[in-house]
Amino acid sequence: MSPNKILIVDDEEIIVRLLSISLRSDGYETLSAYNGEQGFEIFKSQSPDIVITDIKMPGMDGLELLKKIKETDTDSEVIIVTGHGDIDSTITALQYGASDFINKPVRDESLAIALERAKAKIEIREKLKEYTENLEEKIQEATNEIRRHSNFERLLIKSSNDAIVAFDQDWKVVVFNPEAVKMFGYTAKQILNQFTIDALYPPEIAAVFKLQAQKENNQKTLPWGECFLKTHDGRNIPVRYASNVLHENGQFVGTVNFFHDLTEIKRLEKELLQAERLAAVGQTVSGLAHYVKNILIGLKGGSYVVDVGIQKNNTRKLISGWNTIKNNIRRVSDLTQDLLTYSKNREPEFQVCEPNKIVEDVISLVTDFAASKKVEIKGDLDPSITRITADPKTIHRSLLNLVTNAIDACLEDENMLKKHEVILKTYIDQNNLYCFEVNDNGCGMSEETQKQLFSPMFSSKGGRGTGLGLLVTGKLVEEHKGSIDVETWQGVGSIFTIRLPQIESIAGEQ
Amino acid sequence: MIDQRGETMSYKVLVVDDDPDVRSFVVTVLEENQYIPLEAEDGVAGLEMIEKYKPDLVILDVLMPRGSGIRLYRKLKTNDHLQSIPVIMFTGIALRSFLKSQKVLDEFDNGTVPEPDIYLEKPVEPEELIEAIRQKLK
Repeated sequence: MSPNKILIVDDEEIIVRLLSISLRSDGYETLSAYNGEQGFEIFKSQSPDIVITDIKMPGMDGLELLKKIKETDTDSEVIIVTGHGDIDSTITALQYGASDFINKPVRDESLAIALERAKAKIEIREKLKEYTENLEEKIQEATNEIRRHSNFERLLIKSSNDAIVAFDQDWKVVVFNPEAVKMFGYTAKQILNQFTIDALYPPEIAAVFKLQAQKENNQKTLPWGECFLKTHDGRNIPVRYASNVLHENGQFVGTVNFFHDLTEIKRLEKELLQAERLAAVGQTVSGLAHYVKNILIGLKGGSYVVDVGIQKNNTRKLISGWNTIKNNIRRVSDLTQDLLTYSKNREPEFQVCEPNKIVEDVISLVTDFAASKKVEIKGDLDPSITRITADPKTIHRSLLNLVTNAIDACLEDENMLKKHEVILKTYIDQNNLYCFEVNDNGCGMSEETQKQLFSPMFSSKGGRGTGLGLLVTGKLVEEHKGSIDVETWQGVGSIFTIRLPQIESIAGEQ
Repeated sequence: MIDQRGETMSYKVLVVDDDPDVRSFVVTVLEENQYIPLEAEDGVAGLEMIEKYKPDLVILDVLMPRGSGIRLYRKLKTNDHLQSIPVIMFTGIALRSFLKSQKVLDEFDNGTVPEPDIYLEKPVEPEELIEAIRQKLK
């Protein structure tokens, strides 16, 4: 709103009236007072934008009025109307803060100029005020925003489940959040600006972070790693950590580390492992019990048949019962051997041997039994493999086990039209590994069976398997630094392949 | 066949088990008690024997290669000509597991097969076995 309310104060009525008429014709609104007191009253009640006052008035004069007005509102524009030669009053008026002076008699031009100046001053002041107010508001807004941000960040750091520790460029601790307090066992006060990285972390961890800061270009963020931290009370706690190097305008300003306490996780892992081990033991025991029960059934049945043979003097019965008993004695002895092999750590006994000959031995061992079950055993041996350095017992045992399984897989197969066969192959693969392959066209395996193949006491053979066979084979091959793989297709067959590394050094010595 | 006690007719009993030791035991028990033993080593051979010799009783193992005892049992019980032949299940499998498998198969086949007449869990004493056989073949 542009200033346009003017109070005219003069003890000469005529002058007030003339000025009023003149100003109104210029579009101003005017108020009139005829002495100082009245002028001040009107000033207080009407708040004119500009006051024009004569100096010399009876009672409260213009100077007194000016003083009072300025006391009430320093920003008010007061124009003083002075007579000629009234220098002292003029100086006093200036001291009191008069805006302008017009000489008597008041001429329209000089009045207009004084008013324009007063108006301009008011406008500038108002604009300034507006700016100032805006500025304050904007600063307030910005401050609030910054405070909100920083509060949020502080809260974030404070409420983090990870311990957060930050260092400045001199490796002094500048952030130590409550989780860090909990983890390290120091109070924030003990640490902040007191501890350096070397005092807080074990030397090897401190070294990692320092190195990272040096190599900031290629590794700004460390991937999660695991380490141990030492707490205030001397405990070592397992943690997972991540770290970030902080830069401001390309300058190194510090490092921030995040730690996640793994104590609980490690404990759970241990518990889980323990539980699994217990379950495995339980499984093993129940599997064993089942297997031993089957042997017992065999022995009991066999001894009954022998009893009958003795009573009836029946040699046929005696032989049959005795065979049953011998069979089951063999099962006990196999089981014992498997258990021992599985539980003992055995070093392979390397020697120069002929793998093809071992395979032929295995074939001749099982051919008759397989033939009685209408399964043919074939060999497909690479003649270029002559002598290798290996543990012949491992090869023999493993192959015999795999072939026995292969024959079982053929017997298990419900496709009676298939001509069942098991092929044993030897060859050297592209990685120069010696390969022993047992390939059958039996029943194959379901995915589930395949998954459990190498678990202890797993048997798909009902009570006929110890559940240790493949486990033992796997262990033997592993001790030989070899590998064992299986490919299987349900209803089509399975291929087991043992791969053994060439052991040159030992071969060279021999 | 005429047995030693002069009975006119001896019963034919088929034992179906893949374990030769078990067969030898059961066969001996049967012979000792004047039954005529028949043997089969798996489910498929078992069914052939049943159709060919029409035994008076079948002693049946559950887990066998080539046609399990479960399958053979269901075949017998759903065949009009063969379902009257009594069956003794003779196995290392717990009855509970066997019945569970039957329930699943009942649902699958959309029909109910009666529970086996007698279910013997190995190991079984000769006396127990013979008592079970007698109970079925009076």
